[in-house]
Amino acid sequence: MAPAADAAQTFASLKAGLDVRAAGPIVAATTGAFSSGFPDLDRVLAGGFIRGSIATLEGPPSSGRTAILARALAGATRGGFAAVVDDGTLYPPGLHDAGVALGRLLLVEAPTPLAMARCTDILLRSRAFSVVTLPAVSLRGTFWSRLAALAQKSDALVLALGSHATTELAYFASTRVRCGIERVLWSDGDGILRELAGYEIATHVLKHRRGAPGGIAHLRVA
Amino acid sequence: MLLCVHIPAFHLELARQTAGCDASPCLLADKADRGRVLELDERAYELGARAGQTVLQACVAAGGAPVLVHDSDHSRAIWDDMLDALDAVSPLVDDAAPGTAFLEMRGCDGAPADWIARAHTALAAFDLPVRVAAGPNKFTARAATYVRDRCICDAEEAPQLLAPLKLEVLALDTATIERLRLLGIQTLGELARLPHGPFVRRFGKEAARWHQYARGIDPAPFRPRPYTLQIAAAAYGEGSAAQEEQVYFALRVLADRICADLGRAGKAVALLRTTFECENGDIRAVEAGFAQATGDPRTIVDILRAKLEGLTFESPITGLRLEAIRLEECGSAAMLFAHSQPDPHALGIALERLRAINGVQPHSVQLRPAHRLEDRFVYGHPEVTRDPEECTTRGSIAPQLRLLPMREVAVNIRGNAPAKVDTKTVVTCAGPWRLDECWFEENNAVARDEYDVLLDDGMLCRIYRQGERWYVRGTYD
Repeated sequence: MAPAADAAQTFASLKAGLDVRAAGPIVAATTGAFSSGFPDLDRVLAGGFIRGSIATLEGPPSSGRTAILARALAGATRGGFAAVVDDGTLYPPGLHDAGVALGRLLLVEAPTPLAMARCTDILLRSRAFSVVTLPAVSLRGTFWSRLAALAQKSDALVLALGSHATTELAYFASTRVRCGIERVLWSDGDGILRELAGYEIATHVLKHRRGAPGGIAHLRVA
Repeated sequence: MLLCVHIPAFHLELARQTAGCDASPCLLADKADRGRVLELDERAYELGARAGQTVLQACVAAGGAPVLVHDSDHSRAIWDDMLDALDAVSPLVDDAAPGTAFLEMRGCDGAPADWIARAHTALAAFDLPVRVAAGPNKFTARAATYVRDRCICDAEEAPQLLAPLKLEVLALDTATIERLRLLGIQTLGELARLPHGPFVRRFGKEAARWHQYARGIDPAPFRPRPYTLQIAAAAYGEGSAAQEEQVYFALRVLADRICADLGRAGKAVALLRTTFECENGDIRAVEAGFAQATGDPRTIVDILRAKLEGLTFESPITGLRLEAIRLEECGSAAMLFAHSQPDPHALGIALERLRAINGVQPHSVQLRPAHRLEDRFVYGHPEVTRDPEECTTRGSIAPQLRLLPMREVAVNIRGNAPAKVDTKTVVTCAGPWRLDECWFEENNAVARDEYDVLLDDGMLCRIYRQGERWYVRGTYD
């Protein structure tokens, strides 16, 4: 019995060591991390989005992507500048409610995917913005490669929002997060007394350069 | 005006200097045995030796002249040092070939004679027979060095200066020179007097260039040598290391220094050369490549340790040098302005570049009180401010609305509430919220009933009814 017990103990200690190697240093690594504004999401992202890289927030419309984006922009504009390249659909009062300092936010309306990529290129080159967001448009791999290199040089986070990442974007993105609303929260009451109170989002880490993918975080936007 | 710095038979002169050989005639070969002659001095040429001959042939022709062996690495290193020294004369140096360099002197202080004197002073330490001349273009400046050292030739004087020079100045092959001589052409002046068209038709398109040269015209552009970032760290004269751990300690120190320089330059190293100098004079270089360029000292030391595993030295190490051979872009170069305090100039340029793109409009946003969603904010001109107001509110986690382009939809109503939007069933509905604005203005009157609806496909929308029509205003995301 004694050798078996020793073996079990040895196995347990080895397994514990493996767990530490697999999870400990990776999860603890927060250097260069950019907080998403949601502690639960930061935890599965090993500290947050990676600075100097491209990250994607994927999901269909009404999946909670913009709520996560708003919190990230709030964090970015607290100490610096951020820029949003899009087609003009963002609702600034909602961003303000989420804590975004609108005086430090630059909105850039661009009509085509190519113009969006070009605007992002210019914004990153200025090295003035810590976060630049754009829709996850379909671009050639060379464009995403260029943006990834510029993001690294300027130490900025490029957030791409879309229903899904194209093959090229999926390759060059360091972090990919899929979002989806699990439950919509309504205030008590009926008819005119009822209001949208918020929703619960499930976020699924599809890819992460510094940690293992597959992490799931449940977020409450309310 | 260009300066030409030329060292005739540069490799031979350098080999002579290294070997301490003053004999004449003298030959330089690529190998001591069974090699071929690369360069030779004037006396050896007069005796009949030629470049390209075997060492045996040249020795026989030159009457047993001493043969020196070419050391290309040493020559290149010395020439690079000479080019670095010439940087003090002009910021633009064209490295034409080992032994020949051109310096762009436009805008430099002083007269041509001063420039030439400065070039001589800069290269005095190398103790080589340097010739410096000034000319309006590369060929003329180079030819002026053949005429005499410190020769100055302007554009008007160029044809007169070139006219008496022999055809060898054009660096033609022997057969072509022989053909030209058969036609009675011995000098550049005689070549320049030939009609351009027939001469080119007879000797081919290359002849057009020779004819231009002979007339003092050289269209070849000036190509400044690129700036190369050199990152290296060395430890010499700090005693000798006989123990493995001493060497690793020194490597760690040097790797730290290298990585600090890499970080400042925003680079990472992909190939690193470590040179060991031993007490007995042995010099050994070890190159370590990195699959992924790095700027981390621990990674560098780990890779070097692995590379040095099993390497033995016959005597203690007295000198150590780490040199980044191949650099890659990495990280961010040290910046004067951080993200929180961006460079207003760079920001201003970025805004102007954005405005220059067709259809692109950069905006800043200001909020204002209004009833209608679309009236609650207004776009303005973005302004470049170094220190905008601090955001005092921490904000709340709130659903975000996306304002979509106005789109009419078909809505079925049941019990005074939307039951179906287009083909999708309404799962939950909140509202209506009445908006009745500007009723006193006939054209601007707005009377809406707004609803938040959750559809069966998961879409959460803001819709409204105006008159008998229904519209989608936005989606929550």
